[in-house]
Amino acid sequence: MDSNKNYWKGLEELQQTPAFVNKNKSEFAEPIPVEDVLNEAGLSTKTPRRDFLKALGFGVGAVTLAACNRTPVHKAVPYLIKPEEVTPGIPNFYASSFNGQSVLVRTREGRPILLEANPAAKGLNCGTDASTQASVLDLYDMSKLKGPKFHGTDTTWDELDTQVVTALEAANAAGKQIRIVSSTINSPSAIAAIARFTEKYPTAQLVEVDTVSYSGIIKANQNSFGKAVVPHYRFDNADVVVSIAADFLGTWLSGEEHTQQYISNRDYKSLKKGKMSRHIQFEGGLSLTGTNADVRIAVKPSEEGPLLIALYNEITGNTLAGALSSNAKAQTALKLVAQELKQARGKAVVVAGANDVAIQTLVNAINVALESYGATIDLDNPSYQFKGNDEAFASFLAEANRGAVDVAFFLNSNPLYDYYNTEVVKEALGKIKFKLSFADREDETASELDAIAPNHNFLESWGDAHPRGGYYTIVQPTINPVYNTRQVEHSVLLWAGEKTDYYAFVKNNWEQHILAGSSKTWKDVLQTGFEYKDEQPATAYSFDFSVLGNVANAIVTQSKGLAKDVEVQLYQSVALKDGKQGNNAYLHELPDPVSKVTWDNYAALNPKFAESLGLGENSLVEVEGENGYSVILPVLMQPGQAMGSVSIAIGYGRTKAGKAGNNVGQNAYPFVRLANGTLQFNTTAKLSKASGSYELAQTQTHHTIEGRNVIRETTFAKYKENPGHNAGKWTDSHKTYDLWNKYEQPGHKWVMAIDLNACTGCGSCIVACNIENNIPVVGRDEVRRRREMHWIRIDRYYAIEQDGAAYTKEDDINRLDDFENVSVVHQPMLCQHCAHAPCETVCPVLATVHSSEGLNHMAYNRCFGTRYCANNCPYKVRRFNWFNYWNDSRFDNYLNNEFTQLVLNPDVVSRSRGVMEKCSMCIQRIQAGKLKAKMEKRPLKDGDIKLACSSACSANAIIFGDANDPESEVSKALRNERVYYVLEEINVQPGIGYMTKVRNTYEA
Amino acid sequence: MSSHNESILREPLITGKDITYAKITDDILLPVENKPNKAWWIGFIMAALGALLWVGSVSYTFWTGIGTWGLNKTVGWAWDITGFVWWVGIGHAGTLISAVLLLFRQNWRNSINRSAEAMTIFAVICAATYVVSHMGRPWLAYWIFPLPNQFGSLWVNFNSPLVWDAFAISTYFTVSLVFWYCGLLPDISSVRDRAAGLKRRIYSILSFGWSGSVKTWQRFEIVSLILAGISTPLVLSVHTIVSMDFATSVIPGWHTTIFPPYFVAGAIFSGFAMVQTLLLVMRKVLNFENYITMFHIESMNKIIMVTGSIVGIAYLTELFIAWYSGSEYEMYAFANRIAGPYAWAYWAMMTCNVISPQLFWFKKIRTSIPISWVLSIVVNIGMWFERFVIIVTSLHRDYIPSSWAMFYPTWVDVGIFVGSIGLFFTLFLLFLRFLPGIAIAEVKLLLKSASLQQKAKLIKEGHLDAGEVTYFKNSLTKYDSVTDEEIKELETK
Repeated sequence: MDSNKNYWKGLEELQQTPAFVNKNKSEFAEPIPVEDVLNEAGLSTKTPRRDFLKALGFGVGAVTLAACNRTPVHKAVPYLIKPEEVTPGIPNFYASSFNGQSVLVRTREGRPILLEANPAAKGLNCGTDASTQASVLDLYDMSKLKGPKFHGTDTTWDELDTQVVTALEAANAAGKQIRIVSSTINSPSAIAAIARFTEKYPTAQLVEVDTVSYSGIIKANQNSFGKAVVPHYRFDNADVVVSIAADFLGTWLSGEEHTQQYISNRDYKSLKKGKMSRHIQFEGGLSLTGTNADVRIAVKPSEEGPLLIALYNEITGNTLAGALSSNAKAQTALKLVAQELKQARGKAVVVAGANDVAIQTLVNAINVALESYGATIDLDNPSYQFKGNDEAFASFLAEANRGAVDVAFFLNSNPLYDYYNTEVVKEALGKIKFKLSFADREDETASELDAIAPNHNFLESWGDAHPRGGYYTIVQPTINPVYNTRQVEHSVLLWAGEKTDYYAFVKNNWEQHILAGSSKTWKDVLQTGFEYKDEQPATAYSFDFSVLGNVANAIVTQSKGLAKDVEVQLYQSVALKDGKQGNNAYLHELPDPVSKVTWDNYAALNPKFAESLGLGENSLVEVEGENGYSVILPVLMQPGQAMGSVSIAIGYGRTKAGKAGNNVGQNAYPFVRLANGTLQFNTTAKLSKASGSYELAQTQTHHTIEGRNVIRETTFAKYKENPGHNAGKWTDSHKTYDLWNKYEQPGHKWVMAIDLNACTGCGSCIVACNIENNIPVVGRDEVRRRREMHWIRIDRYYAIEQDGAAYTKEDDINRLDDFENVSVVHQPMLCQHCAHAPCETVCPVLATVHSSEGLNHMAYNRCFGTRYCANNCPYKVRRFNWFNYWNDSRFDNYLNNEFTQLVLNPDVVSRSRGVMEKCSMCIQRIQAGKLKAKMEKRPLKDGDIKLACSSACSANAIIFGDANDPESEVSKALRNERVYYVLEEINVQPGIGYMTKVRNTYEA
Repeated sequence: MSSHNESILREPLITGKDITYAKITDDILLPVENKPNKAWWIGFIMAALGALLWVGSVSYTFWTGIGTWGLNKTVGWAWDITGFVWWVGIGHAGTLISAVLLLFRQNWRNSINRSAEAMTIFAVICAATYVVSHMGRPWLAYWIFPLPNQFGSLWVNFNSPLVWDAFAISTYFTVSLVFWYCGLLPDISSVRDRAAGLKRRIYSILSFGWSGSVKTWQRFEIVSLILAGISTPLVLSVHTIVSMDFATSVIPGWHTTIFPPYFVAGAIFSGFAMVQTLLLVMRKVLNFENYITMFHIESMNKIIMVTGSIVGIAYLTELFIAWYSGSEYEMYAFANRIAGPYAWAYWAMMTCNVISPQLFWFKKIRTSIPISWVLSIVVNIGMWFERFVIIVTSLHRDYIPSSWAMFYPTWVDVGIFVGSIGLFFTLFLLFLRFLPGIAIAEVKLLLKSASLQQKAKLIKEGHLDAGEVTYFKNSLTKYDSVTDEEIKELETK
């Protein structure tokens, strides 16, 4: 029904006044002069001056707005379907393991970006070594193969499988041998998989060979105790440690694990209890371990055996022939060492680095005499990390040469690079019909073989490890395979006709064997990452001392063979080890803990010895081995090196490692000898000066402390009298005056304590920091220009000892004539987060400021690069981005491609050229920790936040925490009497306290 | 104009016969009003090539990054800031001559102030280019000023000497430019009045409508005095602040309270040396011998000697204080200067800056043009080394021995430095070509009082003490612009 109601808006409408009627005709209350404007006259009128300006203003404004293009978006594609467990911005941790160490893999948005030790693990549960840290970069290596290859061309897995199976069946039919050559495999599942393979192909056999072998120890233990294993050492039980050329804190067996054990008797907690072990090192080249020894005596490789004979004689009172008689210093020391060892019976250990059966047998005898078995040496839960047998590989080569082998697979094995005699290997390979490598790249060996079936990176793999008796760890993938690669075990099973996928295989293997009888499930293991099972009590062992006559004879013969020309000691560098990670830019740029050299190996010579050969700094020397192999190497002046010896690192000189690692240094493997059934890492050589000069890229070129109190050290005897001895509490005796206002820091106050007695100088903190904070790798030339970017560095200082005095001043040292006796100290140096930071006052634009939590911040976006802060930093810890390292073709060995950029930590911005950077105390971790506590509605507890450096340190030398919490570990550590602050006298009030270096030396 | 007679005991500031106001204008405007000669072209082409090198090196740096220089983690400043301080120091003579000597009524400054001020401005330009080019991100250089910005209340750090520096240098440049340009106004109008066509129009604009009326002159005099008053503190303050870039730091060898006076003396020292270098050539090539006389040369040499001695004392004081401080780091810093890896730079500095100016005690050397010229260059080499020693030698071995490093320059470092000299000379030669190199109006002031012909007239008039006349005649012998006949003429009269 229509309504006939009328609503009117006002009296005017009701009354329909003429004015209203008139007005109501038009839509707008006021007429708009559209007609006026649009008629001809309107359009042709001259624009008035003011309108012109308006039009101009509008026009410019409109054009400007139109020109404001949106910043193009680069592939920030959100998840279409978000995986349940992934929250962008929140890392996920997965338990896995690397080289048998249980680790946690930090992943962000599906990318593994960092490895940390699994804190729940037994044994090595804090800290990892540098190569473990750096291994994430290997995942994102551009030089890896993108799929399988057959005769140098890309192929598919199906085709490759057909080829392989044909070859295998042909060999099987002909009754010819099939060999899998591999470095040690301690993975129970992999061993099971290979067992399936050998079931199918009965002639198949696994040949385990390690590049750097410990078969001398294995054979010696077989001879002495009937157990062909490498023992598990327990340095934590040792009060006296004597090492003869074993770099047990670095590269010998399991350096980081030993470090954790060893330091537990030497760090601030142990010192607090009044306990410190004594460590005596006899060695030729100055090793990482040697730098940490309380007493270090230089002996040549040929003297190692006679020295052990003498030590044995001293300890047992026997008179074996051939005792050391050529080195007076070592002989004097030996007497004291023997006394010490005898007193510490049951709490002592003697280790030797030589891979020689005779020497290791004698070491066994000494250790039995010292009652070390069951205490400091555990033979019942042995180490399975190195099971390789040097003779087995030699016999494989002989077999192949006879034409008996038709098929050979190479896994983690690169003999054309790392075997001492590549000619023999080449010849043998030529006689094998089908050769395949599982290498992830076309390395020196793989490129010469018929096929390459690239293996997954361990971060893409399922697997497990059995690093030592009773201890199993899991390997689980943290990313989908990036390239078209396939896991070795999967391939092997497939070729054996097994269709089960390897994940199921591993799971079954665990459930049936390792977890059998345990209440734990597979899922539990995936969470914890490891399992202990059937651990045996360590027991004592007896030794048949009557064999020693022959052993001593063998030692003496060996020693005589070595004592001519210049004795060569081949060693693994702490960073690169045997060279398997030869394309890892982080490791190449990690300075050697002792020499501080990056990106090269070199001939380390005692300065006095070099002088006598006419060699100097930047010289090149030709080293000609007794087998005729010769290389030209740069000379490094190495104090502490035994006179008449040269040390050369193996693991360098790769030619097909990849973009970063090719042709870095020279290959020293050909100097290795196979003698008495083991690979011997020493030989003799003739040295001659080569023409030309070469500058090594060192991160530190001044090696002494110049008598400055930046390093404060004392002896254990003095420490016992006065724990604060030589800590030199400067602030106690000086009144300080402040220019600046004091600010309250009511919340947190982040500080650090660094124990100089714990730091071994290994440098894994440096790599961890690189990875966590996206620190660029700059390459050899830039390091030579002293432009490495490391936020944390380890300063290493030598003091040269002569006639009972230690010299630290360059001028004094230049007058000395003996450079064999050297004491070394390592000092981690990083931004000290000074309360009165000199950098902060000089920055013109406040790009570096102090936080209320005591941190010295760096606002990269505000920095315009005057570098004044770096100049004014007394610790010289600030680093400048001289170039755009991540986008500059000159720095092609690192981040210059999108794939490798996936390794970047998304929590930390990558810095552009022209900007200063430095240690932020992992501010991103601090923020994340605080946020987590806040989300969980609880106060932050000590230990919630761990920094990259401190969590990578197996020695717990770096302690981070809140100084405002009196109960935090760092507060307790900083209350230690040994604490001093570097350069405290200039009153910059650094936030990092150092604890004095204590040496447990013999008192004169 | 002053028409009182000046004593003949004072040496004449203008020599030559038949000098009239018109002749002064003609003489001085000769290079401005005529086509440049061959010498100018040779100089200009060389300088311009240098400037091109500068453009190339700086562009390369901007394109690639400061990594093209030889700097490293330990030595964050080297040739860049050495060059910067060197150029700022050189600039100081101009201000001292134009301001301080004006206030002290040193009339002899009238002949040299124009080019000295021009030199100041060009030197400060060279210095300023270093300020920008040494930055990691030079496109953000404007952040040094407390500009209101889109980042909210983000402000500069007024504690930082670099901020003071930015103010000091920009103030210095502005005041020097204004002072120089005000002084140029009467001379530009002289050029204008004598020119025709386009040139006249340009100079007309440049002359800001100078009319030459009494009122204009009066204001000119007042503005000169005011600007002199403003500039005088700048002579002291600018280099004081530059020195604070170092003195306020904690680096041994930088952290030194003696720096402000020592830097100011050094700046004047190097500035006068540079004036000497330029003017000795200029007076010869442009035939200005009658206006820039031996008296000027000798006076400047005396200033060089005095300031050189001050600098020398400062060096010795530094050494003493380093020893007296008992501070291990301080002592090492100076021991390292004397006998460290850069000792050659220290001894080059000592020889050039301390020993060489002492030669000016000998009048023969002081009044020898070739030796003066060579020594003026030696002094500036020495002053470059002084800054190099202070900056690089202090930085390369400071507190923590592990970080000790050496600095080696790259071709870019050298290119920018050599190029900046090219840039400087390009600007200076253009200046000589387009603007009067001597302040015409100010020199004219001296004609009726301090010129040789005026003094000769006084002698001719007789009434003077014979001893004074002989003294006057003897003082003229050193003048290369006064011939023996002219002196004899005085005798015969």
